[in-house]
Amino acid sequence: MLDATLQALLYPFLFLSLYFQIFLLLSFFEGKRKIKKEEHMKAGDSPTVTVAVPAWNEERTLASTIESLLRLDYPKDKLSILVVDDGSSDDTFAIARKYESMYPKLVKAITKENGGKHTALNLALSQSQSDLFGCLDADSFVAPNTLQTIVSYFQSNSEIMAVTPCIHIRHPRTFIQRMQAIEYLMGVFLRKVYGELDAIQVTPGPFSIFRREVFDTIGPYKKAHNTEDFEITLRMHKHKLKIANSHKALVYTIGPATAYGFFKQRVRWARGFLENALDYRELFFKKEYGNFGVLTLPMAFLFIFYGLYASIFSFYLLLSDFFARVSRWVTIGIHPRIPEFDLFYVNTNTMSFVAMIMLTLFLITLYIGNLLSDDRQQFYKNFPVFFVLYPVFVPFFMARAVFDTFTKRKNEWALQDNKKV
Amino acid sequence: MIDSKKYIFTFLITSAIFATAFFASTYFSNKRVAGIKQIQDNIAIDILSSETQFDLLKEVSCSNVSDSVLSQELSELGEKLSHTENERGTDDAEIIYLKKYYSLLEIKDYVLSKQLAAKCGVTKKPVFIIYFYSNLGDCVDCEKEGYVLTFLREKYPELRVYSFDYNLNLSAIDTMKKIYKISSSLPAIVIEDKTYTGFKTAEELEKLLPDTLREVVATTTVSTSTKKRAE
Repeated sequence: MLDATLQALLYPFLFLSLYFQIFLLLSFFEGKRKIKKEEHMKAGDSPTVTVAVPAWNEERTLASTIESLLRLDYPKDKLSILVVDDGSSDDTFAIARKYESMYPKLVKAITKENGGKHTALNLALSQSQSDLFGCLDADSFVAPNTLQTIVSYFQSNSEIMAVTPCIHIRHPRTFIQRMQAIEYLMGVFLRKVYGELDAIQVTPGPFSIFRREVFDTIGPYKKAHNTEDFEITLRMHKHKLKIANSHKALVYTIGPATAYGFFKQRVRWARGFLENALDYRELFFKKEYGNFGVLTLPMAFLFIFYGLYASIFSFYLLLSDFFARVSRWVTIGIHPRIPEFDLFYVNTNTMSFVAMIMLTLFLITLYIGNLLSDDRQQFYKNFPVFFVLYPVFVPFFMARAVFDTFTKRKNEWALQDNKKV
Repeated sequence: MIDSKKYIFTFLITSAIFATAFFASTYFSNKRVAGIKQIQDNIAIDILSSETQFDLLKEVSCSNVSDSVLSQELSELGEKLSHTENERGTDDAEIIYLKKYYSLLEIKDYVLSKQLAAKCGVTKKPVFIIYFYSNLGDCVDCEKEGYVLTFLREKYPELRVYSFDYNLNLSAIDTMKKIYKISSSLPAIVIEDKTYTGFKTAEELEKLLPDTLREVVATTTVSTSTKKRAE
């Protein structure tokens, strides 16, 4: 009886999830012609661009990040790279200085006391006068045509105030990274559709580019619960500033390689999402904020709680089954049998039908995500890893984030991750 | 900014998918119940046939009665009924009806088997276990006892286990309870007309079973119908 009631509570969640999936797919196919057209846009005159590279103890990857920026197919007199060392204790600043001396007109290195990513970005912002301003995390790398592609969006529509790129995991090696490779593929699809719906959720640290007037209008970055990229997106929506996505602008980022690193990062992201969303709760269910206010933001918020519930319920079912098996083994010993297949025992309840449809739609969205990007991912190799591992992580980081949010707990260990911009 | 038509259209598609899933689920569930009814009808015919043969025994010899008169499908029926009960719930009217029917078939099978054994001698004497359980949450050991009986039935194919839901409102079951003096103390097991209450391990039950068990040739087995009984 209890099981049936708990299960019944999942139906509204399933309905909303399916609704959301269908809405996104419909929106994608509706905007497909426009998306195709975007692929042929060409940048005209090159506006001046500043790319800030905030770095805290990033000696291992900083050189590659700067090298990738130097390889950008963009007029060098229109580009400036501003490396901000946020009080590193390793050789980060020395590396930045080396590039400054090698490319004095292009690269500038500055150092400051450690204050968090938003302070590094704001320092860069105060020292730049360019038409466009962007950030590239010091563990991320751009493809040569990425900036040109992004600039073409600004030139195609003067209302576009920021452009987000297409992000992939760089050289996924460990199981955790291979899992993220598929997760990011989902992100490719979502960002594109959200862009079509004027509902982009976040302007991520790896190479989101803004018009300068964005900061003149809404002010600089804020600490924002250690997720300044999400907060600035919310602030842009609040001021009704348009954000687009360029699915052909490729950026690669190094995903956490270990389970602990991944868990830590996701707790910070999920908590940052929750706290910032609560700070901007006036956007919820307001028609004036479009699809973002009415659909995507409330859904993302709700899914954290419902997703947590669904995960806990699934975990409870698995545990019940496990204990029943253990009880059987303890009672009569282990007597393995070859299971016989009988169609009679195939699960045909409503939930399993809907779950099958949702899984199919999910695979379609991943497939579209992979098609959209110019760099196809190893889908068949990585999907099984994602399918097995991801559902194990989700309830844990969501539960921790919800717990920390509502207990106002300080998470120094999670903040460490943020300092490592 | 907001395309209301798309929101409504999406709602209609989602509702249609949910409705289709619901109807498909109901369709398959009904098919499943129809399958169970079909098996029950087959067993009823088997038993009626056996009874008719038994009546005829007065005129013919035992050698003319094959082992197959004893129902072969009760075991399969019990498992399928158990699965469906878990899926649809113990208070589903259709399931309760099927369980009553199943219990009656079990009793019929039991009575007929005993009569055949009495009439046709020791070589055809099967070994019976009658098991009373409850799945209302008031019998903590019933689930474990179910595992034990399933195990024993698999170990001794000639062992016939008849499981009865103590709480099923059926006069024939009440009569069985009276005959074997079954109180609400569950699980209760009847072996060789003696009643035992409380959880019994496989070893304890094996000791209570007659030594001839391994020598009995009968191959028919009977199963159960809820997860708390022997499956």
